[in-house]
Amino acid sequence: MVEENVIFDPEGYRGSLRERLIKDKIRTWSKVSVKKGEAHYEGLLLPRSQHTDDDYVTLKVDTGYNLGILVDEETDIQEIGYQKGHYKLPHVDVEFKKELPNVTLLGTGGTVASRLDYRTGAVLPAFTPEELFSAVPELTSTVNLTPKTLYQILSENFRPEYWVKTAESIAKEIESGANGIIVGHGTDTMCVTGCALAYFLRNLPVPVVLVGSQRSSDRPSSDGPRNILYAAQLAGYENFAEVVISMHGTPSDSYNLVHRATRCRKMHSARRDTFRSLSDIPLGKIDYSGTTWFKDDIKPRSNPEDFYLDAKIDSRVGMLYFYPGMNPDLLESMVDLGYHGVIVIGTGLAHVGTDVYPALERCQEEEIPVVMVVEPLYGFAQLRVYETGRDMLARGVIEGENMLPSAAYTKLIWALGHTRNLDEVRDIMLTPIAGEITNRESPRGFMIMQGIEPGIDQILKNL
Amino acid sequence: MIDQNNLDFKKLGFHAGLEVHHHIKSKRKLFCNCPTILEEDPENMEYSFYRYFRPVLGEMGDFDPGMLVEFEKGYKVIYLANERNTCTYEMDETPPFFPDMETIEKGYILSEYFHCTSFAEEIVVNRKQYLDGSITTGFQRTFISARDGWVPVNGKKVRITNLHIEEDAARRVNWDDTSSRTVYFNLDRLGFPLTEIITEYTDIETPGELIETAKQIGRVLRISKIGRRGLGTARQDVNISITGGNRVEIKGVQDLDLFDLMCRNEVVRQHTLIEIKEEMLKRGITEEDFEHTYVDVSHLFESEVKHFAVICPKMKGLFGLEVQPNKDFGLGIFEKSMLITGIPREDQYHSDEFEDGSIRRNSDYPSKLKIDKQLYDKLCSILNPKETDAFVVVRGSEKQSMHALKKIIERIKMALDGVPQETRRFIRNGNSEFLRVIHGKDRIYPDTDTPPVVISLDKIEEIIRNIGKRPWEVSEELKSKYGFSQNKVDLLIRDEQLDSFYKFTEELNLNAHLAFKLLIDIPRENRRKENILNEETIERIASLLASETTIPEQLNQVISLLSRNKHLTDEELIVQLNIKEISSEELATIVKQKIDFIGKDKLQTSEDEQRYLPKIVALVLKECNYSIKGQTVVSLVNSFIKEVI
Repeated sequence: MVEENVIFDPEGYRGSLRERLIKDKIRTWSKVSVKKGEAHYEGLLLPRSQHTDDDYVTLKVDTGYNLGILVDEETDIQEIGYQKGHYKLPHVDVEFKKELPNVTLLGTGGTVASRLDYRTGAVLPAFTPEELFSAVPELTSTVNLTPKTLYQILSENFRPEYWVKTAESIAKEIESGANGIIVGHGTDTMCVTGCALAYFLRNLPVPVVLVGSQRSSDRPSSDGPRNILYAAQLAGYENFAEVVISMHGTPSDSYNLVHRATRCRKMHSARRDTFRSLSDIPLGKIDYSGTTWFKDDIKPRSNPEDFYLDAKIDSRVGMLYFYPGMNPDLLESMVDLGYHGVIVIGTGLAHVGTDVYPALERCQEEEIPVVMVVEPLYGFAQLRVYETGRDMLARGVIEGENMLPSAAYTKLIWALGHTRNLDEVRDIMLTPIAGEITNRESPRGFMIMQGIEPGIDQILKNL
Repeated sequence: MIDQNNLDFKKLGFHAGLEVHHHIKSKRKLFCNCPTILEEDPENMEYSFYRYFRPVLGEMGDFDPGMLVEFEKGYKVIYLANERNTCTYEMDETPPFFPDMETIEKGYILSEYFHCTSFAEEIVVNRKQYLDGSITTGFQRTFISARDGWVPVNGKKVRITNLHIEEDAARRVNWDDTSSRTVYFNLDRLGFPLTEIITEYTDIETPGELIETAKQIGRVLRISKIGRRGLGTARQDVNISITGGNRVEIKGVQDLDLFDLMCRNEVVRQHTLIEIKEEMLKRGITEEDFEHTYVDVSHLFESEVKHFAVICPKMKGLFGLEVQPNKDFGLGIFEKSMLITGIPREDQYHSDEFEDGSIRRNSDYPSKLKIDKQLYDKLCSILNPKETDAFVVVRGSEKQSMHALKKIIERIKMALDGVPQETRRFIRNGNSEFLRVIHGKDRIYPDTDTPPVVISLDKIEEIIRNIGKRPWEVSEELKSKYGFSQNKVDLLIRDEQLDSFYKFTEELNLNAHLAFKLLIDIPRENRRKENILNEETIERIASLLASETTIPEQLNQVISLLSRNKHLTDEELIVQLNIKEISSEELATIVKQKIDFIGKDKLQTSEDEQRYLPKIVALVLKECNYSIKGQTVVSLVNSFIKEVI
């Protein structure tokens, strides 16, 4: 209960309505009676979401429904009781089991458990061990899982320093003997973090699995619980030691795909099977019956003693998406602003318009590496095919091979953390480190598991 | 079991509430832009996918107990879908689109029809959890339009507590095996806009009132032209309790004609459960009597499948009591353990089945466990029941059997409290089966995908300003003005002809009975002859009658002429009607002829007159080619007959 003399905060309410609630001593979570002409409403006064109309109250009525009522001068509103909600999953006691592998789950936000945020009306991550285990009780019998919270942020708020801290935490867990690591991550920039980790964690001895959910865990249909279960299985038992992303492979709760982080991209804003491996097939898939590996170049688990962390970065790197009509002053201003390196996403084989050439020349003069990657996402940057491409090469740009934009961006940050010598940067950028560049491109990478689902035959028939 | 045909509902403390779910006419679904089209063959679809569901916390931080039981069922849910009426929203692969504003407005209009006083001035979309797979998200998006309304029912007011607008669930298909852990849904219906109208649960006190309440609500949906028409557009859930019983929700009653039987069978069920409770208390049974000790008796059965038994102390004779026609208490329990654990009810046995005249043995689902005297005795020697004890045997996998026995014991313990609160599924024979534990308010929490939609009171007033007369107001009016029966009023409402009726009677000054005939009888009669009269034709005939270009006697000819050629001008029509100019002398002669034809000797008394008058008038009209008003002929014939008599 709130003490009488405490100044309470009508959460989310603003303006004159807020003043009125304070004056009349009406608290959020109190039971109120609202009278307005013939109409009479009773219910719990809920906190108000920030981006909504000022003059309305939100009531939770006896049936559990919420509704909004405009409070004007003629509206009578009174507090008649108080009941604060306690949003918490029941506590689960977890025993350490000697026979199970030890897996650490590093939470950075989102993923498995989240709860309603009244400030924005959206969902916020809630990430305590209790919450996790009571949401997904099967976890306790799969691995000895130790959840730790690194951040509680949405993935679009990540910054390069956060990749470093995440990598440091992973290193610490590996040194303490973890058999595998899971990183809970918002899906939007999961691939970017994944790429950075793949460069930072040298001679990685255990699996690092990035996982999240496309349907938040406040819904019964969430993909989160299944994703985390499969992630625990992968991290705890499978013989591979790479940074991977593992999420749903189809709209069904049937199997998850295992993608090499550096080849992976989020390809749909909302679907569960949003992640695809581009220009290659996924490493494998996992379902209730176990894991099937599709590729034979997977790095196996190795001796932890060879492992070391190399997370030196220079985050003054920018990324430019070239489009027809782009004014070269965008690139010029990046030089003016003191950027140390630029990724340019070029058209087709990685071209930019000829009017950008002077800006490229300036980058060359000032020894700012410009790395070209391809707008079509699939395939290689090939600047020797057309005259214009050769003109670009003459102006010092680096062909980014078939690195995905996120892989090239994070790699340049990492490379510049080690050297600003243009030739050395070029060397680092063009040497495959974690599968971000493939030395050959199999046609399967454009055909297989690129969103073709069982049942497609029937759809084609009905077209 | 008390006699279901002879129940004193008032004395038993019968109370009922009604939840009417009705589709709202709409071009699009409530939260996406898919068209509202149902597939004719719901099992022949283009693609499918499957999911599993888990319960989530309610807003107040509690799991809904009903949701936990749903999770226990462990369903794998397979969805079938077609491209043309299903998008990634129905697949739960993309967030909702902005709700259909037209439907929101219709919600307010309906609320006004129901005299609601408290309108939602801001639409807050809520999520109502469902883990049965019927909704891909695991929750239904739903919101309140208004609260506190009423409908008049047999002279009293039945209160409407809430009027909601929500998205409909998917259609369950391939529903053959209730015990299966795999369920199938067709996604075509998912997202159809629906209104849910809920009555105050204590206001209805007889099945008759329940039926009338449902009818009144149905009339509003029709008169407002908001309700979608056709099969499967309306479903009712009924809450029933009697004194000492509990609120039980019976779902999916589509046919009002079955309400009475359903109420009777539920009253009987609750009454018997109360009797069982009293008997258990009399026998001194407490919860502590029951132990979860399951005995493996597999070796007694010549089968690969495991068999487990449990003793139910002091329960002898109770499992065999008939709780609903042709169903005993034991079978009622097994329906629940089957649904939750997946062990078919036929694989569950109780010891009262061994008694002579066992209800179970003659029920629709007798046990398939073959237990003869010898086996029964063997079971007794292992289980060692006392004289008053009963026992239960279940067969299936070890895990499922244990689960089922656990559920059975839990259910027996609940019998000490009489009637459990639960949601039951209506069965065509008037009985019902356990479906789920009743859902509470903890399963509702706000939808974070849809920000509140502000609708000001002024806007609401503008929306509801021009609603028409309510059905009960129309009945009142047409009864007092024209002596119309409720049945006639209902026909006008059902066929959506009320507007035309008012137009014909008030603007064209047509006789009300003639207007009714024109709008209802004639189109229906013609439909039977597969002659569909369109609205234009009916309106044209009404104007012809109003201007006295034709007279009602010529209706049939006019219709057949216009059906053959709707392009006829009024002049051509009149020519083709072949109207005869008949002088009063000529008419008198015809009348006399027809009276003679019938025979004067048959016209001796005023009863004779009553009997033959219509026939004579019909003959005269035909002779005159329907060119004279019937009323004129009637008075003429009358006066001639008077002379004869």
